[in-house]
Amino acid sequence: MDQNIGASKLRRFITEYKSWLYLLPAIIFLGIFMVYPLVDVFVYSFEEGYNFASQSFFGTGMYNYSYVLHDPYFLQAVKNTFIIVIITVPMSTLIALGISLLLSQITKLRSMFQTIYFLPYVTNTLAVGLVFMILFKKTAYTDGMINLLINAFGGASVDFIDGPYWAKMTVMCIYTVWVVMPFKILILTSALSSVNPDYYSAARVDGTRPLRIFYRITLPMISPMIFYLVITGFIGAFKAYSDEVALFGVDLNAAGMNTIVGYIYDMLYGDSGGYPSFASAAAIILFVIVLTITVINLMISDSDD
Amino acid sequence: MDGDKQTELYMRLNNCNSGKLNIVKKLCVTLIMSMLIIHTLTACHGSKETVSFTVPESFDESQNISITFWAKNDTNKNQTAVYEKAVSDFEKLYPNVDVNIRLYTDYGKIYNDVITNISTNTTPNVCITYPDHIATYLQSPDSIVPLDELMNDPEYGLGGSEVKFDSPRSDEIIPKFLEECSFAGHYYALPYMRSTETCYVNRDFVEKLGYELPDMLTWDFVWEVSEAAMAKDADGNFKVNGQKTMIPFIYKSTDNMMITMLRQLDAGYSTDAGQIEIFNDTTSDLLKEIASHGKTGAFSTFKISSYPGNFLNAGQCIFAIDSTAGSTWMGYEAPLTDIAEDALVEFELTVLPIPQFDTSNPYMISQGPSVCIFNKENEQEVLASWLFTQYLLTDDIQIGYAETEGYVPVTSQARETAEYQDYLSRAGEDDHHYQTKIDATELLLNSTDCTFVTPVFNGSASLRDAAGALIENCVKTVRRKGTVDDEYIENLYADVRGLYRLDRISGAGAGGPADLGPLPKQSVALIVCVVIAWICIGAAALIRYRKKRIKA
Amino acid sequence: MDYMRIERNTKIKRGVTGTVRMILLVLWALIVLFPFYWMILTSLKGYGAYNAEYIPKLYVTNPTFENYRDAFSAVPLGRYFLNTAIFTVITTAIMLVVITLAAFAFARLEFRGRNFVFVIFLSLMMIPTELVVITNFVTITNWNMRNSFPGLILPSITSVFYIYLLKENFEQVPDTLYYAAKVDGTSDFKYLMKVLIPISKPTLITVTILKVIECWNSYVWPRLITDDQAYFLVSNGIQEIRENGFGRENIPAMMAAVVVISAPLIVIFLIFRKQIMAGVLRGGTKG
Repeated sequence: MDQNIGASKLRRFITEYKSWLYLLPAIIFLGIFMVYPLVDVFVYSFEEGYNFASQSFFGTGMYNYSYVLHDPYFLQAVKNTFIIVIITVPMSTLIALGISLLLSQITKLRSMFQTIYFLPYVTNTLAVGLVFMILFKKTAYTDGMINLLINAFGGASVDFIDGPYWAKMTVMCIYTVWVVMPFKILILTSALSSVNPDYYSAARVDGTRPLRIFYRITLPMISPMIFYLVITGFIGAFKAYSDEVALFGVDLNAAGMNTIVGYIYDMLYGDSGGYPSFASAAAIILFVIVLTITVINLMISDSDD
Repeated sequence: MDGDKQTELYMRLNNCNSGKLNIVKKLCVTLIMSMLIIHTLTACHGSKETVSFTVPESFDESQNISITFWAKNDTNKNQTAVYEKAVSDFEKLYPNVDVNIRLYTDYGKIYNDVITNISTNTTPNVCITYPDHIATYLQSPDSIVPLDELMNDPEYGLGGSEVKFDSPRSDEIIPKFLEECSFAGHYYALPYMRSTETCYVNRDFVEKLGYELPDMLTWDFVWEVSEAAMAKDADGNFKVNGQKTMIPFIYKSTDNMMITMLRQLDAGYSTDAGQIEIFNDTTSDLLKEIASHGKTGAFSTFKISSYPGNFLNAGQCIFAIDSTAGSTWMGYEAPLTDIAEDALVEFELTVLPIPQFDTSNPYMISQGPSVCIFNKENEQEVLASWLFTQYLLTDDIQIGYAETEGYVPVTSQARETAEYQDYLSRAGEDDHHYQTKIDATELLLNSTDCTFVTPVFNGSASLRDAAGALIENCVKTVRRKGTVDDEYIENLYADVRGLYRLDRISGAGAGGPADLGPLPKQSVALIVCVVIAWICIGAAALIRYRKKRIKA
Repeated sequence: MDYMRIERNTKIKRGVTGTVRMILLVLWALIVLFPFYWMILTSLKGYGAYNAEYIPKLYVTNPTFENYRDAFSAVPLGRYFLNTAIFTVITTAIMLVVITLAAFAFARLEFRGRNFVFVIFLSLMMIPTELVVITNFVTITNWNMRNSFPGLILPSITSVFYIYLLKENFEQVPDTLYYAAKVDGTSDFKYLMKVLIPISKPTLITVTILKVIECWNSYVWPRLITDDQAYFLVSNGIQEIRENGFGRENIPAMMAAVVVISAPLIVIFLIFRKQIMAGVLRGGTKG
């Protein structure tokens, strides 16, 4: 009995050892450039009131977290981020799914459309953000092109960049969806075309209605990819920042459109020398929120198996 | 433990693949590791050795030195050329020094980069900056070199004997400008270029409205004329220019506007030590007045409407207040213009000092880049940086840079050269000697004594931004049909205080942790949600684990 | 008779759905294309003409190529292209090796704590770059790797994002293939190289292209650690061009630079398009 335990233990040890070997390069790079900074951030978050310029801090404790949670701008940023996440992730995934389905049903111009749809991903986001800002911005001379379109349909002009909160949020969501679509369409079209056509032929022979085919065959087969998109979509949306800057400029707090990452960034470079402590506390809070949501997502996706 | 129990435990440990025990084991290991790492890192944070600088005996010309120079320009190719010429000429004089220039167009970005580099000891050697920012850099001890000793050094100081070029003596730098770079008892920077704000007036429109343009504007005059200009005719065009657009008074930089107005009225802004006094009744009155004009559309700002110059040149503005360093964009025949040829409207442009409350005691703000030096271990490197800084104050560079825009040289030496005098005298000849640019330059040359600066302390930059934000928010609110009354202003003060973290400068949060009071509702909600989520996750995981156990 | 009516109705329905489908697709294509049209348009407008337009025009009256000339003459864009190419190729190559091994370990190999480690990896994805960047800056500076290619490359190599994608992909390869290989006595590594990678080629190509695009457009990190012009990347070049005017931002030149910089990426995408769109796992277990 001892020998058997010994042999199987050895085998398992070797398999495990091999697995860790495979993981080693990734672990090294991630460890140095991601884990170490994360630990650094964690430490900063407990060093109270650390000022970057003076490189000194009061003491250790929970003051940073308390400060951040009391800060109305942080709460505003949390609210903004949540709104962006809740609106853009489902919407972009659904639209991407819709477009991918439409694409999979045509044959003639499919590659042309696919190439066109992928274009935004290729281009520099700075430039694209600038274009969007120009399209939506109201100046003293013109209401902006989008407003002209709205007027053509009989609506009133809205100041999107500098106007009421809901207008700014709308622009933000539209822009975010526009930006994340290429990747999602790419993944979904690839996933759709990998579904074995035999299933479809069988279903058609059985006379199944298209909607049923979708629910019973297509959706389950591509569900891992959909979950991947949802999970990474949530994570990406929580990290939203550079898109906001492209549209509203650097002074996001004044525009009321700050996001959590924007708040972190502001804290790092504050006018009085930067406070990595508050930034870190906010980052850890963000981390906890995103971790929670991702774990929930993972559990839902696992339970489907 | 006896043998059987041991084996049993052993087997259980081994048979548990993704069992809870393993996860617990792993968690313990991770926790211990993190404790160790945290302990080492806490020791790393916040420790820095500092070395203060003393002037070395002589400049060692055999040592090869490389210095970095972070330069700011106004997105202007001509200014970049001046910098590059400075670098190459200096390198010819001191072949052992290699100057690496890095160009910026934004003070904010310079500030961000310096802050980032302070922590890694990779700050530049010479850097163009604001005194406000220097106050923040000074929070890091011995990062910036105090210049008193260097300035007075007989060999290498200002006008020193061993300096290879004709550097100005300390009395040849305009005293007013030099004083601006001194705070906390030391000189921490040298002025590089200076400019001020001025009012570019469309004389034709003022006269068309029936007013005579005085030599010194007052605020009352400007408000009155602006309101008069809002009159429209039957077709909805403005009477004074016959166009659909007219914004009579545009002030580019609202922070300067608030600061200048408060200074002219001798009202509270801040003390030298950093006590914030801006939230007072005078400010409220000023805000209400400005809001009333913003409401009629007679007043606007750059952030709301864009460059005053564009409107002025198109005959859609009467009083455009902008820096003298923007003078090449102002006027019907401006050398640089953003608007279409056919939108230009011919008019007579007069350059006047900004409006005053008391014309016998005028005040205008002094602004412009200053240069500072960072401390390094190698004293020769610091000395080389100092020499380069002095080189920036030589006549060629001063005159060259000043002529690109409405800047004035900061040395009397440069101003008195025949070359500069000749430049000033040829006003109106061509684009390089553009009339308005020279008018603006002369205005500052003649009014140097009326200029002022705000107190410099750690956080003064935030206070300045806050001042501007007060005006911007009021104008935006009235444009959206809101009202600016006492209640609004009270709320605005509180908002701005929070937005720019003014409490950290002076107030509860300055020296140490502040007493923050109870948590706001949203935070509590957030924390509660997260906790509940994790309880649910834990429960679900447990149920699933049990189900797997039962299946197996 | 009924039959003919049914057939005609079906044909009409199909025609209608087909047209509706086309309309929707074309609509999205227009929405996607419009900003690019705008960018190209702007790049063809002269600086003065562009700033003079109060109401942005949808066409260009005097197209000019001066912006394209400026883009190459004002800054050494050719040099930046070379730097970016080197950076991209090396980073992508190393990344492919690292993530293939890691994804394989997660997807196929059994070891204790696999799920736990995977969740940890996932959680690393949640860290925003802005925060990581500062510490990495300190690390790289302490190693004296500023203004060097290793400094640019090393932190940019791993992305959990792609490990996750590849893992999902590997997991979709049916177990039977693996067991069949095992029965034949193939080692795990051989299985990876000879079976898994060829099957997953489309995904690998997708990941490669995505990484290439990411490296090509990378801005925050290179800007932070390079201040020597010899090491600038094209994204830095765009910023330089933007600020290369006479007191205002030079937007048309910037757009020209963006167009020039995006062109190689689009070409690469066009070349590899078929492989990417081909989909995964065609006929893996047939026969």
